[in-house]
Amino acid sequence: MRTGLLCVLLCWIVPALAANSLPELANSPRWQALMHINPGATLRDRGRSYIDDDSYFLADNGKQDPLAELTATVAALEPAAAPARCRFPARYRFLAEHLDWQHASPFGHCEAYSEWRSAVQASRVVLVFPAAYLNSPSSMFGHTLLRLDQGKDSAVWLSWAVNFGAVSTGADNSLFYIYRGLAGGYPGRFALVPYVQKIQEYSHMENRDMWEYTLDLDQQEIDWLIEHLWELKDINFDYYFFDENCSFRLLELVEVARPDSRLLTELRFAEVPVNTIRALDERGLVSGRHYRPSKAVELDNLRRSMTPAQQVLARRLADAPALLESDDFQRAAPRDQALMVTTAYRYLRLQNRKGARDPKVAKDSFTLLTKMNQLPPVDVPVTENPEPPESGHGTQMLALSGGQRDGEWDFGELSYRLTYHNLLDNGYGFLRGAQIEGMGLTLRSTESGDPKLEALDVVSIRSLAPRNRFSKPLSWYVEGGLERAWAGRRRLVRFVQGGAGGSWAIGNWQPYLLTSLRMENNSEFDTFLTPGAGLDAGLLYQRGNWQWQVGSVGHYFTNDTYRHTSELAVQWAFARQHGLRASLSREGWRGDGVNEFKLQWRWYFD
Amino acid sequence: MKKTLIAAALLGASTSAMAVAPGGPGCGWGNMLFEGKSGLPMHLLATIVNGTSGNATFGMTTGTNGCDTNGSLTYSGQSLLGMTGVMEEVAQDMATGEGEALTALSVSMGIETGDRARFNAVMHENFAVIFPHQDVTAEEVMASITDVMKQDESLSKYLA
Repeated sequence: MRTGLLCVLLCWIVPALAANSLPELANSPRWQALMHINPGATLRDRGRSYIDDDSYFLADNGKQDPLAELTATVAALEPAAAPARCRFPARYRFLAEHLDWQHASPFGHCEAYSEWRSAVQASRVVLVFPAAYLNSPSSMFGHTLLRLDQGKDSAVWLSWAVNFGAVSTGADNSLFYIYRGLAGGYPGRFALVPYVQKIQEYSHMENRDMWEYTLDLDQQEIDWLIEHLWELKDINFDYYFFDENCSFRLLELVEVARPDSRLLTELRFAEVPVNTIRALDERGLVSGRHYRPSKAVELDNLRRSMTPAQQVLARRLADAPALLESDDFQRAAPRDQALMVTTAYRYLRLQNRKGARDPKVAKDSFTLLTKMNQLPPVDVPVTENPEPPESGHGTQMLALSGGQRDGEWDFGELSYRLTYHNLLDNGYGFLRGAQIEGMGLTLRSTESGDPKLEALDVVSIRSLAPRNRFSKPLSWYVEGGLERAWAGRRRLVRFVQGGAGGSWAIGNWQPYLLTSLRMENNSEFDTFLTPGAGLDAGLLYQRGNWQWQVGSVGHYFTNDTYRHTSELAVQWAFARQHGLRASLSREGWRGDGVNEFKLQWRWYFD
Repeated sequence: MKKTLIAAALLGASTSAMAVAPGGPGCGWGNMLFEGKSGLPMHLLATIVNGTSGNATFGMTTGTNGCDTNGSLTYSGQSLLGMTGVMEEVAQDMATGEGEALTALSVSMGIETGDRARFNAVMHENFAVIFPHQDVTAEEVMASITDVMKQDESLSKYLA
């Protein structure tokens, strides 16, 4: 009786209450999330919607005014069989819950939506992070997307991938494409594509390892996400490379699923994808982690499980499958045969994955595959202790240094780097041999003077990809900015330099040899721009938390100036976010030179 | 039952589907084994903004790739096996007897968890029947898969 009364009271009161509180509803986290209101996470459009598309809003001022949009939405969705319901199922659900709407089969008239919804079902949501890969600077920060799994089994090839990216026509030329991508000239949209296509793209084509993080969302939250996704079909957002990018938008989606997750309350400038994982992890949203090695990593693991003689034979098999009949091959044990054939087959496929179909390659591939079928199956060796990218050091850095130059005067330095990783930084969770640094600033003060700009690194990208029997990548680097160099005296020079060459891995040792071209502008040289050419060579050695580098770079300029810098440096990563670096370097020029010793404490954060 | 029918229609198992390639042309049924993947929109610069091409899908295939949308088991009417690069992965998994591509194929055909090991084993044993030469097409592969399944006691029920 009492419960009955309570129910009557509630049923009567709740709608009345709700109807009176539209302003309150408009301020509720879920509505704000559905409207993609910027709560202060980025500087543009604070308090307004990120969505840059009139067709998303029913009210004229919907982008600025969540309450006006809410009122307009109530009017549009409440009538029986309202067409707007088919476009805004998540909004409908929100209003139906709060305003106690009781429509029988509210989407009965929505054929396209119903069909889509029945095809797009998920019982698990996974955040996918295709990690960086060598030789593509644009990938070096990684990317993130969501995966919708229909079941909890391993049939992820049937899952959907939710990807946010810029929409381009492909007609623009490359430089313009980059420029517009950075400057926000392209609209960004969500796309829903088969996950198998993403595996093909990242793991098979681009050699990117993929990290997959299961999100701790329940069925209700997942349904919110999917229903809202439909509302974003063909809807334009701004796309900015640095902040409003793929990763950032995914946080907005998760906000819709769980509005109290407070993912966007902090300012998120330069949203690096790995920080998205950290943000989700810190708020308890990550419940599992899975590593999907790329095809290139799998091939490398296979290669390393073979003896040098087996490697040679496997490599030759890929060129000439007729060697399957050779004595060398026939003598091997079946397991070793299987290992060699599998390696040869995978190598051949990896080599030919991008081009058009070639009859000889197809025939050779088929011969090897058929042989694989006749031999015992090979377990591809798994990567031991793969290093999760979110466990790596923070992306920003502050450093304090002290040193001595020319044995005479002491100096102190303060450095800041916006992003991301240097070859000597703690390599855990980062791709070996890859360096990408942006916006680094160093101020130096000496006993005799005020602090002066020592260096401004605009960008520095280095890709030292080791070559071996099966893989012959190019190593290269490009960097530019301001630095101190000798030109009559030590002065601030502006430069761009880069080069290409090779690198090899021998145990923990990695030698490299690159040609180097440099364009320099300074106030001493006669010409505005002075080109120089030279070499950049050295050796990396890594053991435990210790990373060593010895190297030398020298240039000969067109005005007959010669200059080189040689350095021995070591960094001890004594904690995840802290490193101590010591370096001894010599700057030399025709007829003279100075030595410098420096000790640096590096602190990584964010 | 319905699921099996859809699977059959999608994957080309029904007799009518043999006459007309299911899903119509453009669904990848003519793809040969070891088809090059040059068609994938991969170029270096696209990765910088993680771009999607102009006609990006939204899980809806109507009017975008020429495939029918009858049935929506795998990717709203796109045939799994006909997708770029998938047949090659299926071939590799069948050669060795297991793998994600093979799992996806069996799930898309409605094969129960308990029968999947059997499915994998039968596919592994019949690799040479299903992939008789390197110029085999997705459609022929699908036809052979169903033929092989028909002759297996525990798998034939999925074709009823």
